[in-house]
Amino acid sequence: MHINPPPKRTTHCYLCAAPLHHKITWRKLLTPTREPAICEKCHQKFEPVAPEQQKYKDVTALYHYNEPMKDFLHQYKFLKDVVLSEVFREEIHQHLKDEQTIIVPIPMHPEKQKERTFAHIDELLNAAGIPFTHLLEKISPITQSSKTKTEREQSDQLFRLKVHEAIKPTHYILVDDIVTTGTTLQHAKSLLIEAGAEKVTALTLIQG
Amino acid sequence: MRFKLNKSKIAHKLFSPNNFINAQLRDFLIGRLWLREHTPFQQKTIEQHIQMGLIQIIPGVQPISTSKKLFSKNNWRCNRCRNEDPEFFASFNCAKCEQICVYCRHCINMGRVSSCTELIKWIGPPRKIQLPYEPKVNLSHLFQWNGTFTPQQKRASEELVDSVKKNQSHLVHAVCGAGKTEILFPAIAECLMQNKRVCVATPRTDVVLELAPRIQKVFPNTFVQALYGGATVEHRYSPLIIATTHQLYRFEEAFDVVIVDEADAFPYTFDETLQQAVQKAKKPDSPILFVTATPSDELKDKVKKLKGGYSFIPRRYHTHPLPVPRFDTLFNYQKQIAKGKIPRKLLEWTTTRLKNDEPFLIFFPTIELMEKAVPLFQKLHLKIEAVHAEDSNRKEKVLALRKKSVPGLLTTTILERGITIPKVQVAVVGAESGIFTSSALIQIGGRVGRSADHPTGDLVFFHHGITLEMDDARKEIIRLNNMEVLS
Repeated sequence: MHINPPPKRTTHCYLCAAPLHHKITWRKLLTPTREPAICEKCHQKFEPVAPEQQKYKDVTALYHYNEPMKDFLHQYKFLKDVVLSEVFREEIHQHLKDEQTIIVPIPMHPEKQKERTFAHIDELLNAAGIPFTHLLEKISPITQSSKTKTEREQSDQLFRLKVHEAIKPTHYILVDDIVTTGTTLQHAKSLLIEAGAEKVTALTLIQG
Repeated sequence: MRFKLNKSKIAHKLFSPNNFINAQLRDFLIGRLWLREHTPFQQKTIEQHIQMGLIQIIPGVQPISTSKKLFSKNNWRCNRCRNEDPEFFASFNCAKCEQICVYCRHCINMGRVSSCTELIKWIGPPRKIQLPYEPKVNLSHLFQWNGTFTPQQKRASEELVDSVKKNQSHLVHAVCGAGKTEILFPAIAECLMQNKRVCVATPRTDVVLELAPRIQKVFPNTFVQALYGGATVEHRYSPLIIATTHQLYRFEEAFDVVIVDEADAFPYTFDETLQQAVQKAKKPDSPILFVTATPSDELKDKVKKLKGGYSFIPRRYHTHPLPVPRFDTLFNYQKQIAKGKIPRKLLEWTTTRLKNDEPFLIFFPTIELMEKAVPLFQKLHLKIEAVHAEDSNRKEKVLALRKKSVPGLLTTTILERGITIPKVQVAVVGAESGIFTSSALIQIGGRVGRSADHPTGDLVFFHHGITLEMDDARKEIIRLNNMEVLS
């Protein structure tokens, strides 16, 4: 696993380039905290998903897919602005820090990963300081977002287990960027359950 | 000697039977600095041209050495936007080249440039211009314009053409509503006739969208390419490009003449890399023609240093004077708006406009204040709307004001230039705020009385104290109005 060097202190908002005013507090001095990478104004544009708004059972989504979030995801995944992995590091950290579980990112096809130059889910977790284990492999390089809804729902198993990885009867948390139809997470979940996992839940940044 | 050798080498390669130039690739790439992975051409074709020495590969981001050895840090330069500010570079673990790569965040919206991406540039022979009749003058560009000039416009346009002929820089200082765009037409025609490649660059996308169709209409036989974020780029050569200054990051030594319209507008004056982009996009000896209503002292000095020409039009095309702003106090406007109340004088001003059925613009210093004010104004009239820089419906809303389906707009400085609405009345709220510089205030004032049918209108600066900038704006307008003009 690759460990990123500690992120440098950002002085300007990653999204709107407004100067950031870091306040010095005792808590910050004495405990390791993650400084915000974006300004308060940009942060407020993202709309958190309330517990009663969660669309899928066992899937916790952090934010709605509103316009600012669409722009964020575009800049992160398609314009490949890797530093944006730091934008939600605090939220992701808070959700996963105390879990006595195994964190499993949804993988990319190696071909696709070369093309994009980085694994966007891994980077989100790295920035949040959450250790993770890759247990799955993507079989086909075709992306879910390029398929129609029925094609997605009817597709064959998208993943296979990595060789030499034993699945224990314990709790696993899958991590993905966005949940749209839930098919991707369902495929990954059923694979882990079949292999002997006791419980599989998921965390996604966005609910589409 | 060396030059000759190189040339013959290329020529030799050209005439070898298996190799020939892909004319479309050449026409597209000439003068451009393009991401290799994003070209519309096959990688195989590009590879062949690289082999033939017709295309040069430039690393996207490269390390630069700092002068101070003792404290030398790793600094980088983006070869597309020429940014060297370390704040705009980020490094990441690259899965493609399996090492740490650095990328430029400054121009990331145009497709990421990193240390492992390649930029390509055409270095082969230029396009041949086939003109059997007259080798020096190209008459294939039709210049179709039947408008008439005021004597001032005529003189300025002649001076500008003269500068093009002499290949020297030029500054056209023309008041808001002087008819600046028309003055450019003869100069552009002169460039095209001399087979010169021209770029009209402006900091604002709105201005590109407004200019491009007007210029295309005047030169119906010339392919005019408009370039802005999200524009469709055609894969052929254009001798006449209308672009935002941002788009010039993608050019290098391309233009024989660059015209910078609204040369004082944000962000051009603010962002040094944009000014560098203009320098980079033109050929080293090419002149820059600046056009603006409010030239800064720096700009005037710069053109003087270049020994450039200067034209001045103090009068609007309809010969009426510029509206002079009146100052009026509006104490504690921020508190009152925060409390949910429109200050009395502003309320009276707005109701008068609504009663008289006059379209109006109210300028606010910040988006936050404006957004607090919107619901209050909508109580006066449901259809009053607000616009700001990130508003994707800006164009529609301005059009609605012009068509009178909206009585008035609240706006930030985004509408300070480039828009013409007959009979419009203008108020500035908080004219003492830092964002309202004298040039911004002059531009805002320039919205009033632009049409010949309604050459006057109310222009009021509501303030919480008069600033020097406000005084300067007023003095400058009065000075311009008192100037003698040709008749």
